[in-house]
Amino acid sequence: MSQWLKGLLVGGVVAALVTLVAAGEWQGASRSSPPIARMADGKPNLNGIWAANNAANWDIQTHKARQGPVIALGAAFSVPGGMGVVEGNEIPYKPEAVAQRDANGKDWMTKDPEVKCYLPGVPRATYMPYPFQIVQSTEPNDILLSYEFASASRIIHMSTNQESPTDTWMGWSNGRWDGDTLVVDVKNFVDQTWFDRAGNYHSDALHVVERYTPLTPDVIQYEATIEDPNVFTRPWKMSMPLYRRVEKSAQLMEYKCVEFAEELMYGHLSKQPKQ
Amino acid sequence: MVLAAAGTLLLAASPMAQPRASAQRGTAKWTAPRTPWGDPDLQGIYTNKDENNTPFERPPELAGKRIADFGEKEMAELRKERQLAAARQASSIGGTAENDTGAGPPHWYEHFDAENAQPWLVIDPEDGRVPPLTAAARERAAARQAARRGRGPADSYTDRSIYDRCISRGVPDSIRPIIYGASYDITQSPGYVVIRYEMVHEARVIPLDGRRKLSPAIRQYMGDSRGWWEGDTLVVETTNIHDNMQFRGATSGLKVTERFAPVGPDRIDWQARMEDPTTWERPWSIRMPLKRDDTQAIFEFACHEGNRGLENILKAARAEEARKN
Repeated sequence: MSQWLKGLLVGGVVAALVTLVAAGEWQGASRSSPPIARMADGKPNLNGIWAANNAANWDIQTHKARQGPVIALGAAFSVPGGMGVVEGNEIPYKPEAVAQRDANGKDWMTKDPEVKCYLPGVPRATYMPYPFQIVQSTEPNDILLSYEFASASRIIHMSTNQESPTDTWMGWSNGRWDGDTLVVDVKNFVDQTWFDRAGNYHSDALHVVERYTPLTPDVIQYEATIEDPNVFTRPWKMSMPLYRRVEKSAQLMEYKCVEFAEELMYGHLSKQPKQ
Repeated sequence: MVLAAAGTLLLAASPMAQPRASAQRGTAKWTAPRTPWGDPDLQGIYTNKDENNTPFERPPELAGKRIADFGEKEMAELRKERQLAAARQASSIGGTAENDTGAGPPHWYEHFDAENAQPWLVIDPEDGRVPPLTAAARERAAARQAARRGRGPADSYTDRSIYDRCISRGVPDSIRPIIYGASYDITQSPGYVVIRYEMVHEARVIPLDGRRKLSPAIRQYMGDSRGWWEGDTLVVETTNIHDNMQFRGATSGLKVTERFAPVGPDRIDWQARMEDPTTWERPWSIRMPLKRDDTQAIFEFACHEGNRGLENILKAARAEEARKN
């Protein structure tokens, strides 16, 4: 075969590959993304400050934009539309639980625990409009999640899976690695946290299995499987990407929201209540 | 943590592990193990519940004494006295079955058997007393008092302390034991140390990468902390403290420099130096040991979520006014 013909054939193969990659049809295409960071023990390095960038805290399901609840705040505090983060967009509520969800949603300003600056629970803490920091050492050390909202935090027990001594707002987290995915089993919740401002809720039988899978150095795919036989007829799942705050100076700000909820909660008990 | 032993094995096998001092504890300088990225490894659960009951300053009845005057025999006597005093007040904490104060049962409390390490906390100046307030600080205190004139202890939630309101205990107070919840855990990652405090619930993220401090326009209840290593000692400098904190009358210009010095496998010698020239005539320091204790794991303290106390204090004040009128 002449050199000329070889060159033509090789060139043709390269051209075909380029076409396939461009069309996203070659399975190996994702390998072209930069490799994920790793710790000294070979585990993915999830350290960093992360945030979702979606409208799930308003409503985890598909929703259109609508007028906000405070007329005086107009466009500044109205509800942006969202494509939803629930797989299949259906939350399999038991028939009697639907009524409770609807009542919650109708009255969310007085009932939503977020308004009172209560610890947000899991998975809501992940997709609230505040960043959180993953603090990961190497095993056998545990992994810490520190959230900006309400100074919430939780420990993911990595090497000894432990039973919670009691029910808590942020749940009890036991973690393990499944390949490059951090899998966190969270249970022992109180029944007082919600999933969003639309009134989606759960009971104290809530069981969440989270999966944190690094896709690139700056993106984690997050999944949460929700199980609660008191409220839902079957497990269901939400998923979304989490993005790294890439600026070198990124730092969690303190958001001690208690002081912003006090007038709402205790103002009427003052000697001279504000009008 | 239970896995400390496993961690030691792992580190011993790592090429980055540093040799540990094999001499007797307390007599030779302890060398802390290293994380895989080379920082001293202080990770674990610590408590200072044994420092409950310790007076902040040298109490008047010990006037003229120095900390060095208290050997093991003298400390044993002090501990016994303090434990007895705590026991005498036990029923007034949680109340009785008939008259429950709502402050929880006595078995929640950690100060009945506290084994104090020191006679008091202030180590510098040597007389164990916080230096005198400056004239400016006395004026501020007088102005605060004047602003409160005519107000009752609970006219509004703002009349209660930042701690009563479950907002924060600030820096350095978050690490001062206060009858229960004296647990702290230290987590490290490359470039960070995080200290969690059970009481109120705080997760204090301390960058070690030499980054600039936050703008002075930003003030936070826990301040803004920057840390670095001096040998095995973690040094943490905290500034940008919220105007509401007023630690012992200090301004938001307060700078707190803490030193977490590992002195053995199970013990950190913690010190904090306070500097605020507009408040005190000179800087001063306190000291406390933190003991590593895997049994003292942090529980979630949903303080605000369960704050019946604040609501009841306000309601009781209104009821009292109604009764008098």
